[in-house]
Amino acid sequence: MPTDNNSVMVEMREVYKYFGQLKALDNVSLDVLDGEKLVLIGPSGSGKSTLLRSINQLEKIDHGHIIVDGIDISDPETDINKVREEIGMVFQSFNVFPHKTVLENINLAQVVVRKRSKKEAAEISRELLNKVGIIEKANEYPDKLSGGQQQRVAIARALAMKPKIMLFDEPTSALDPEMIGEVLDVMTKLAKEGITMIVVTHEMGFAREVADRVIFMDYGAIIEEGTPEHFFKNPIQERTKLFLNQIL
Amino acid sequence: MVEIKDKKEKKETPRPVIAVGDGAAIPSKEDVGLFTAWRFSFIGAIAIVAYLVIFSPDPYWRILKFLPDGILVTFQVTTASIVLDLIIGLFTGLGRISKNRILSGIASLYVEIIRGIPLLVQLFYIYFALGRIINVPAMASAIIAMAVCYGAYMGEIFRAGIESVSSGQMEAARSLGMTSSQAMRHVILPQAIKTILPPIGNEFVALLKDSSLVSILAVSDLLRRGREFAAESFNYFETYTMVALVYLIITLFLSKLISIMEDRVGANR
Repeated sequence: MPTDNNSVMVEMREVYKYFGQLKALDNVSLDVLDGEKLVLIGPSGSGKSTLLRSINQLEKIDHGHIIVDGIDISDPETDINKVREEIGMVFQSFNVFPHKTVLENINLAQVVVRKRSKKEAAEISRELLNKVGIIEKANEYPDKLSGGQQQRVAIARALAMKPKIMLFDEPTSALDPEMIGEVLDVMTKLAKEGITMIVVTHEMGFAREVADRVIFMDYGAIIEEGTPEHFFKNPIQERTKLFLNQIL
Repeated sequence: MVEIKDKKEKKETPRPVIAVGDGAAIPSKEDVGLFTAWRFSFIGAIAIVAYLVIFSPDPYWRILKFLPDGILVTFQVTTASIVLDLIIGLFTGLGRISKNRILSGIASLYVEIIRGIPLLVQLFYIYFALGRIINVPAMASAIIAMAVCYGAYMGEIFRAGIESVSSGQMEAARSLGMTSSQAMRHVILPQAIKTILPPIGNEFVALLKDSSLVSILAVSDLLRRGREFAAESFNYFETYTMVALVYLIITLFLSKLISIMEDRVGANR
């Protein structure tokens, strides 16, 4: 649930992004409140991943403004690394560091970026590994882990920075079906702690359970938004109905 | 010169790879033919040297006694060049992939120019150009010249190694707030090293052989020691037979050493 004061955590104003001729984001304006759980849905190529990736500037927008926690990241003067420290991101392909153990994966940015001592970092890492349920794998290398376990390491790695926002870019799409549950469970648990979450996913069960608001995108634009109930019971736009019929 | 294949790509589509380096072929266990060829030539070369020295000590034993100083110099030139070469290679590789147009322009220009000029001409040029500006010992300028020449190739090895690491790794590191140099140092380069190591080994052997070119620059390496001996004794054929055999034994030995090292690196991840 959005917290008491309802301050805006992410503000997007008239955002455009082009890939060559293709309009990946077409005049997107959006407010995400502090503590809000927002789920983005839409067909592939609809711009939902691009929208997510523009929030921590993995994609640079061509026009408009994105303000994260009061800082305009589209301003060239902004130190994007500082902003990124506050934004955790989880990728479809996990992107854990294969040359480091699970524990080292989670320690690294804490020590290098947050300048925590190794001891302090390791304590935080262990705590988070407990939370995502794979403390017994702390000293394994990622190639000994299943996809679901790797993704949970990636979530712990992002959380270790104590971010204000968590971005999830199709976190379960690369997983075997039997592992999707374990990752969604961790995400559901996390959602209850009040952190702002923006999730690109096709898991409508997760959206229904966790989301405060769902946004449907197509052709780079926001087509429809509302509560999960709204999308399940009476979506308005034809394109939304068509899409939901395909995935449900 | 060096082809680095993406590991995944290799697994999925076993496209034929033409891997022709200019170093001695590094034997691997799968390559049975080469493995035995390696044994045959290595043991054969040692046997011939032993035979010549024992049964015809004059001039062969005298030649062999004359060469070790040169072998030492050859190793000094090779080792110092490869160290300098690695540094130049790292920065050239980083420059080549840099988004900064000026940096990548300089690095690309360097690579293009070096690759377009024969090594021997470059050696002469750098040697005499350096001589005009500062007075450096022959050995030092030979080392610099070799490193500059080989740095261009090493730069390409580094570039290919860095590019072989999936782009998701960089994104993950950056999304955690790392600067691009922190990400390069802690995430990308440690992974690139594994891909880079075999071609570096190749380069080392190739550089050792090419170091014979510095014998024309008043550096008493293995080949030059041979020339000196031959010029005094007029035993040209015998001397160069010995020189060739010694080079062969050294490069074959190093190739083997490198392949053992690669196995180790592969084994402990």
